[in-house]
Amino acid sequence: MTVVDDVRLEGELVILRPRVDDDLALFARWHGNPDVRHWLHMSEMPNQTLEVERQRWQIARNDPTRVSFVIETLDGVPIGNIVLIGIDVAHRRAELGIAIGEKGDWGRGYGTDAIRVILRFAFEVLHLRRVELITDIDNERGIRAYEKCGFVREGVLRAKRLRYGEPLDMLIMAVLRED
Amino acid sequence: MNLPAPDGNIALTVISESILTTKRVRLRPVEESDLTQFQRWLADDELRKWLGSVNEQPSVAEEFDWYVSKRQDPDTLLWSIESADGALLGNVELRLRPLDRRAEVGIGIFDRGEWGKGYGTEAMQLVLDYAFGELKLNRVQLATDLSNARAIRSYEKCGFIREGLLREHRQIDGQPSDSVAMAVLLSDWEAR
Repeated sequence: MTVVDDVRLEGELVILRPRVDDDLALFARWHGNPDVRHWLHMSEMPNQTLEVERQRWQIARNDPTRVSFVIETLDGVPIGNIVLIGIDVAHRRAELGIAIGEKGDWGRGYGTDAIRVILRFAFEVLHLRRVELITDIDNERGIRAYEKCGFVREGVLRAKRLRYGEPLDMLIMAVLRED
Repeated sequence: MNLPAPDGNIALTVISESILTTKRVRLRPVEESDLTQFQRWLADDELRKWLGSVNEQPSVAEEFDWYVSKRQDPDTLLWSIESADGALLGNVELRLRPLDRRAEVGIGIFDRGEWGKGYGTEAMQLVLDYAFGELKLNRVQLATDLSNARAIRSYEKCGFIREGLLREHRQIDGQPSDSVAMAVLLSDWEAR
């Protein structure tokens, strides 16, 4: 629904550029790190080989309700990815997903900046009204970043996912255009 | 479809829609002849308003496309709901997420002459019995309109608990509308 091939979104600390086929090795490396996988649904999946990443990307790339960006530092180093999924034009909402794949770059404000940038895109370019996300209830660093960006806690989804086979509560948060 | 076995291992399980019955309702696989009836019912503005995903009345061809896409999705189970005397009432679907042992449920009694008679509640209880008893799921969830008091009451009767208020989650006639996130867990269902 939205062509983002030429889109480059600039923030104060990061640049978002469209994800391309050649990024596969990056994603395989990021998702191969157990500390990165811990917070993602990938905690329940077998290790991410290049071939698995390729299959996942084939599906994601052709999903018309999804936009996928790579997060780069201002000097062009890719450090993670950020997506809007389930873009619903009729109800003007989407779900946000983000991961800083370079663990050494956690806690530097890159994620917060990337979220602010993609929210501007969501509200001003895609004309969405609501962006929501769900995150592990104990993901304190993530929740703090989301709150900085205006996300409000809306509820606790009990046993929403499994992590290492155990049921885990997740927090649902959302930011509205008028927030 | 891959469903984790209760011990947490991944077991390959092939599931098709079983026929589920109580004294008053029967869940059976959707037949093609149901689709034209669903399509006619979906002309009803008030029905569509509550259904979240259907903004305009689909054409017959679109209704068939919808059915085919559901059939092809190995993680979706879809039943027609009928009364004990075989009258079609609506449908119910479970969208499974085997990796997390959960599903999202969507239900509609399309025949509005049959609203308020408890058919939806009974059909939902059948689906929950199946989801927890047979599929060994851990969580069944849904989101419904905050203003849909009849549906919320029915879901609460089935054991669903309100978990959150989703602000401006949907647009109805161009106006933002809040939704309620609800879920029932295996432990809730076992304790009922």
